Amino acid sequence: MAPYTLTYFPVKGRCGALKMILADNEQQLKENLVSIEEWMKGDVKGSCLFGQLPKFEDGDLVLYQSNAMLRHVGRKHGAYGKNDCEASLIDMMNDAVEDLRLKYIKLIYQEYDTGKEAYCKDLPKHLKPFESILSKNKSGFLVGDQISFADYNLFDLLLNHKVLCSSSLDSFPALKSYVDKIAARPKIKALLECENFKKLPINGNGKQ
Amino acid sequence: MAPYTLTYFPIKGRCGALKMLLADKEQQLKENLVTREEWMKGDKKASYLFGQLPKFEDGDLVLYQSNAILRHVGRKHGAYGKNDCEASLIDMMNDAVEDLRQKYIKLIYQEYETGKEAYCKDLPNHLKPFECILSKSKSGFLVGDQISFADYNLFDLMLNNKVLCSTLLDSFPTLKSYVDKIAARPKIKALLECESFKKLPINGNGKQ
Repeated sequence: MAPYTLTYFPVKGRCGALKMILADNEQQLKENLVSIEEWMKGDVKGSCLFGQLPKFEDGDLVLYQSNAMLRHVGRKHGAYGKNDCEASLIDMMNDAVEDLRLKYIKLIYQEYDTGKEAYCKDLPKHLKPFESILSKNKSGFLVGDQISFADYNLFDLLLNHKVLCSSSLDSFPALKSYVDKIAARPKIKALLECENFKKLPINGNGKQ
Repeated sequence: MAPYTLTYFPIKGRCGALKMLLADKEQQLKENLVTREEWMKGDKKASYLFGQLPKFEDGDLVLYQSNAILRHVGRKHGAYGKNDCEASLIDMMNDAVEDLRQKYIKLIYQEYETGKEAYCKDLPNHLKPFECILSKSKSGFLVGDQISFADYNLFDLMLNNKVLCSTLLDSFPTLKSYVDKIAARPKIKALLECESFKKLPINGNGKQ
């Protein structure tokens, strides 16, 4: 059976969470890397439905949009809640993670030199809701009693923020313990320690 | 049975598509309006999970994040495709619509005076993929043979962009006919003509 295939730049970028959910579910992933030089030529870009990467293939199904991929894999591998109600809550959580990811991306690509200090100072305000949600959930996951695609997404984003603002989780014990717990999951730990994954820059412009 | 309840500002904003989907499925919606003055006081803002509106209630389930709300209602009312494959494609389409909505929102709230001309000039680049997708669709919808939550979202966004850049759809015959077809659906037509919907400004700062 054809493995899943991912076409993307040689960065972690918007595919960290996807790789984590696949690793945690012991799914093979074939990766096609597109260098910036190739991308600038335009042919690959022109062939992408919305002119963007990543591109994800599951047999005949071709998907763009990183969150659509997370939902697809989440749906297939039991990481989308145990009923419709949980699914809707997971959607809400993932959208909130995406909101924060957009802020992060804006800082990294548009405002790094001038905006980093203010960003790190403002960050606790955006982490507070997640701290609150996780404190209240006995399972230690965002929704219900199983890990969901939103958890992998939040975990990945928090790893980025630990690099950017090193003390960001110090005043958030539930978030700190959440990150430690997910990082300790055997398949996640293996992924984080594997050379292929470790050597990828987080972002395309080298800033972190 | 308690109707769905929506708490939002007195604008169309991020709730146009939701109202269209609900109207088309003949679902009642109770609306709580929050004025800017009330919002600025801060007590209500602090009570919302991520400090934002809209807030949607379905019995005991409380949801934030407009796209999570769309997915929830889409899931409940047969507007999320007929199988998992279609669901994933619909997710991709909705995320692409959301990308364009964010560009629209950025223009309206941050760059209207200086950026409108460039936005309208660039807009065809972003509409082309949708024109292409719809041209290939036998049903005339984005995915499969039924209307999905992504269609209501794209339709709503096209209405906004028609107000902003009036000749916009002239070079996109499929999009033009898509908008006309959805606008002619009896329940959508009734919503678009109803006083309480018509009187809402599109955006919170009065720009359009």
